[in-house]
Amino acid sequence: MKALLVLILAASLPMPGTKFKELPPGKAKVDVEAACYACHSADILVQQRLNQKQWTATVEKMMRWGAVVPPEKKMPIVEYLARHFGPGAKFEPIRVQVPPR
Amino acid sequence: MQFDRRAFLRLAAIAPFTSHLLQMNGYPLNVETPLESLTDYLTPNELFFVRSHWIARMPDPKTWKLVVDGDVRTPRKLSLAELKTMPRAEATCVLQCAGNGRALQSPAVPGVQWNYGAVGNARWSGVRVRDVLARAGVRDAAKHLHMFGSDDPPGKVPPFHRSIELEKALDDCILAYEMNGKPLPPEHGAPLRMVVPGWAGDHWMKWLVRLTAAGKPQTGFYMDTAYRWPIQPGEPGVTFKPEEMRPLTEMAVKSNITTAPKRMKLGAVADIRGFAFSGAPGIARVELRDDGGKTFRAATLDTRHAPHAWRLWSYRWKSSRKGVHQLFVRATDSRGVTQPRVSVWNQSGYLYNAWHSATIEVTA
Repeated sequence: MKALLVLILAASLPMPGTKFKELPPGKAKVDVEAACYACHSADILVQQRLNQKQWTATVEKMMRWGAVVPPEKKMPIVEYLARHFGPGAKFEPIRVQVPPR
Repeated sequence: MQFDRRAFLRLAAIAPFTSHLLQMNGYPLNVETPLESLTDYLTPNELFFVRSHWIARMPDPKTWKLVVDGDVRTPRKLSLAELKTMPRAEATCVLQCAGNGRALQSPAVPGVQWNYGAVGNARWSGVRVRDVLARAGVRDAAKHLHMFGSDDPPGKVPPFHRSIELEKALDDCILAYEMNGKPLPPEHGAPLRMVVPGWAGDHWMKWLVRLTAAGKPQTGFYMDTAYRWPIQPGEPGVTFKPEEMRPLTEMAVKSNITTAPKRMKLGAVADIRGFAFSGAPGIARVELRDDGGKTFRAATLDTRHAPHAWRLWSYRWKSSRKGVHQLFVRATDSRGVTQPRVSVWNQSGYLYNAWHSATIEVTA
């Protein structure tokens, strides 16, 4: 019975790397997805609590590292990220099932 | 089958602490262990945190060979089977991500926002780095060991290439193919990873494909910009220039509370538990203080220990008055260094080790 219950509870969680955080609605959402998702999921974005200066530096670093950001999209992307994931933003990681023994 | 409601509720209460990890990033995979699950001397492999810089391209262990080259007399290519014929080496020691606790730093800094669980203690088995390098014959000119994994990132993204001082590599480092007596899991760097006792996880290269002896350290983003530590401390929020920092190596002394009740009755005794570790080989003492007292009192150290392993501890705390109490823990290592109340500021949020606390409400 106990084993069954543990199994049921564990099975209700996703496996690591199969479910990702989603970005909130906004005009720049699609541009953030296009620039970032080739290399990483949104989880790493939504947990940051950076001000606009820090987000600008981060976006510029990612552009140097190959993120495709058309010049006219850079500021809308920075403003979107700073608005949603600025100082004080809350983050709850996704609970994932431990891999099978 | 009869449904046992009490058993279900009891399991529902413990299951969140025993059956899950916390996903910090889906890809590349980064997951941390809930702090309350870090109660074992050896952290089970399936509960061990995972840090990946890039999406892993795991080598095929059947065709994989470790290349040993650079300033050596005889470059070598060693298969896993060949490595397993060499003298076996083991070390039980802590692996902690350099950024563990970054989320607790103020002001906030970019990076994976680890809380407490990017750390674990495991028994690593494999072959000594010095035995492998002896097969190649390292020349006197070599002072550093460059380490390369198979997780090359796309395009202009800098690869996660690192090096460590040869002196450390020859001293106590292991190339591990087993973790807690089982084959090294893929997410932990199979078929072979570096084990660097006492040093932060950025040196513990996963999916190793090449070791190169060299006269100078590795260069690149992950040596020249990242994983550096301020030479002189500065005010929180200050940005140090790369030349004002040195490479981050040893971990800082740290203890955490893993087990404490949220509520208890007046006069009852609580069993407080946790772990402590350091870049130094051992932990000399762990002490707790409650907000009503001015002095720290010694916790009982578990008998199990090894150089650079963590030390489990326990402490029986009796509640003396009603209300909300805050218990603080601090550790002192074998070199006499005591965990500070406030962590050293650095702009990357590395080696956070401020006193940890637990809050307990005492009721009548």
